[in-house]
Amino acid sequence: MLEKIVKALSSNADIKAWIIRHDSTRGFQQYELKDSTESVREVESELYTVDVLCDSQDSEGKPASGLGTVSILPGGEINNALEKAVLTAQLVHNQPYDFAEPASISDLELVDRSYLADPQGEIQTVLDTLKDTTAGFPHVRLTAAECFGQEKQTHLVSSKGVDAQQSATDIYLQWVYIGGKGENEVETFAETRRRRIADLNLEEEAALRAQYTSDLLEAAAPESYSGPVVVKGGTLAVMAAGEMLAGSLLKTLSSASLKYSGETPWEIGKSIFPGEVKGDDFTAWANRQFPYGVPSSAFDHEGIPAQRVPLIEDNLLASFISDQRFAYYLNLEPSGDFGCLELPAGSTSTAKLREGSYLEIAEFSWFNPDPITGNFACEIRLGYQEKDGERKPFKGGMLVGNLLEALADVRWSEETGFYGNYFGPQAARFNNLKVAG
Amino acid sequence: MKDKLLKPGMEKLRLELGEVVGILEARSPYGAVTLSSREMTRYFVDNTQERVSTGEPTAGVILRTFDGKTMREKGLGGFHKEEVIRAAKSFVSGVDFSSNGKLDPGPERTGDFQTEMENDPALVPTDQKLDALRDMNRRVNAIDSRIINARVSFLEMREKTVFRNRVADLAQDIQRVHMGLMITVMGEKGAVWDFDSKCGTGGLEILAFSDEELAELVGNAIKLLDAGRIDPGEYTVVTAPGVSGVIAHESFGHGVETDMFVKERAKAANFIGKRVGSDLVNIFDDPSLPDEFGSYFFDDEGYPAQPTQIVKSGIFERGLTDMFSASALEIQRSPNGRRQDFTRKVYPRMTNTFFGSGDLSVEELISRVEEGIYIPKVSSGMEDPKGWGIQVSGHYAFEIKGGKVTEKMYAPVGITGYVPDVLGSISGVASDFSLSGGYCGKGTKETVPVTDGGPHLLMKARLG
Repeated sequence: MLEKIVKALSSNADIKAWIIRHDSTRGFQQYELKDSTESVREVESELYTVDVLCDSQDSEGKPASGLGTVSILPGGEINNALEKAVLTAQLVHNQPYDFAEPASISDLELVDRSYLADPQGEIQTVLDTLKDTTAGFPHVRLTAAECFGQEKQTHLVSSKGVDAQQSATDIYLQWVYIGGKGENEVETFAETRRRRIADLNLEEEAALRAQYTSDLLEAAAPESYSGPVVVKGGTLAVMAAGEMLAGSLLKTLSSASLKYSGETPWEIGKSIFPGEVKGDDFTAWANRQFPYGVPSSAFDHEGIPAQRVPLIEDNLLASFISDQRFAYYLNLEPSGDFGCLELPAGSTSTAKLREGSYLEIAEFSWFNPDPITGNFACEIRLGYQEKDGERKPFKGGMLVGNLLEALADVRWSEETGFYGNYFGPQAARFNNLKVAG
Repeated sequence: MKDKLLKPGMEKLRLELGEVVGILEARSPYGAVTLSSREMTRYFVDNTQERVSTGEPTAGVILRTFDGKTMREKGLGGFHKEEVIRAAKSFVSGVDFSSNGKLDPGPERTGDFQTEMENDPALVPTDQKLDALRDMNRRVNAIDSRIINARVSFLEMREKTVFRNRVADLAQDIQRVHMGLMITVMGEKGAVWDFDSKCGTGGLEILAFSDEELAELVGNAIKLLDAGRIDPGEYTVVTAPGVSGVIAHESFGHGVETDMFVKERAKAANFIGKRVGSDLVNIFDDPSLPDEFGSYFFDDEGYPAQPTQIVKSGIFERGLTDMFSASALEIQRSPNGRRQDFTRKVYPRMTNTFFGSGDLSVEELISRVEEGIYIPKVSSGMEDPKGWGIQVSGHYAFEIKGGKVTEKMYAPVGITGYVPDVLGSISGVASDFSLSGGYCGKGTKETVPVTDGGPHLLMKARLG
């Protein structure tokens, strides 16, 4: 079918350039409920997505470019779909641009080979490991778990000469621990996505979540507080790199499309912080080459190869992250999709960051800062107060502040970790944040 | 004029589904087949670009059997008869059906249903839709010179479904539409943004924005330039319908989806028949509401849409079920079995979830507040079914002084509290009613269209 689509596109004189993405996925899903299996599912799907770029003219007669995108299911009507794409592209009026020229695309490790060898068996092994590990924590009960595996093959071909293929796997796991009894029960809900089963760090994560569950049973409401706040692990990764439901502030403000529209105040060579930097200098890369990174890809939807882009160097913006179109408009090198957020190791040990009195945020209900201003007021699902050598859990209250101000006054740990879309320090001590108790 | 009820491939395969159910039930105590097609097109215009893109369409067949303990499903792309019959035979061949579990297929029912609309987007040319968005972009930009971008988006989503089991043969064609506006304004301290949207099941006729609505949106965005942060603490609060709705959604919406009961995740399971709010609190879920974004004619397990009262006069009545959880808990079904698309499992999910209205005017409600906060717009919420904590983010809020809303604005404003405390503090319910639409996930996945809302409410809550 790919050849038929290529032939139809190549013979259409109205099309300036085109890209075809052929995605095939095969997945296995298993849902556990206490000691039994609630549901098992197998899913297969296949789709061709076609972008066509056409020359057009805007309402004032100026030259313009228009993009039309259609998706075609296997066996679907090709000519009608392409006709619709061309018609749409001719009606859309953007400043002229062109698709990406071919560039060298390196292989990238995105596949869990042991999963591919036996998808159903490996998913079962993950769930069995979770159950076995949980048996070591008699104070918690595993009441539900879901594990999905998916293999995705992508073949991208473009009229510019890009012809690239990649395989990737995606492993998703969620589970629920319940502690306590009756109306005093508490839960910990864990949800994680990685490319490889090994990167789930299952035993370690299960132990951490079991500890959180017991601590929640003892947790009280917090007092209002202002001072140092320590954040670690996956929760720190969400603050820095965002997650599925709430994007990353750094990603938003470094976007070339927002630069073009005038909505980001950031400028190359200027500090990203509105005020003085009181903590460690901040450096970051947008790294789509990171092996097994969840947002890593050998090439993105436009065929732009994976890159490790210096994003921020010693607090100064080094690059905007740009697709082909906005790179063309702003005269930048296209970087393609953002990828993982990579931060360098800090210079302070985690042990040192945890000295003295501080609050630690173990989990938010949802960390969702304003995507433009960075202001946040987020409920704390579990935290700890460290004072005079005593560690007391708390729940509730809100961490209130501004993410850019927080990143300008932070010390990072020398120990690093990988959390799916983030590679960098495992812990950070924000020197002055507020908790509304 | 309307588009055809089903795609030709679905219509043809529908005729064979009795045979497929027969193959599944030859060995299984329950078999069902769903044909599902979901297509989405998004139109976008802002100050710097225009886009028309199709969302990833899904079209496929779900074969479902129950082996007595476990629900088994196979999702197949496309609508090919031979492939489906072959897959059905192979699907049941390796399964042990010796367990004695049963599932109730429900009452006998047949019917074909289609969204009522005056102006079916499927029949409106692309250039007309783009021109409407360009016009909206121009209207917004003309209001104030501080606007640096006005994003206008229009989404049309078509869901065509056939459900067949041994007693049901149903088809529905649902058109959902969504118009979103997001404007960014620039001031001395930087950029801020505000948004508004309209949506529903219906045609383009439900998406018009008046000049007054656009002016209010821009006016509030400009006020955001000088908004301060609220001093954290407990306040007397009046919530507008959108905020009230997210409180309903996060408290007695997610927390009463009965898979949460089966998984022991719901604190509400211990509160059936018990008080969870003041006498003024009534909460409903109703997929049968006409024209609403979360509505349908039957759920993804073929159960007919009808209203469910979740909380009645402050007492928790019942939860929202799918087939599996209702069977496991031995409770009556409600029409809430929903799946994102054919690649995903059914869960009990909300549809249109809302507080019931009271009898006070909004002005009377606000006049009762000597000092407090009015929260007119919500930006997000998060559930906590076991802890019953609330996290709702107000995009902004205004001070109330002497029974009047002042111009003093705070942003953003986080609302937190313990669900029974917040619902128990509700001391006034207005007579107005409106719903706002959007998408809801379960955790970070399983997205389905929903609405939530209700009237203005007067309550106590912790803000920060």
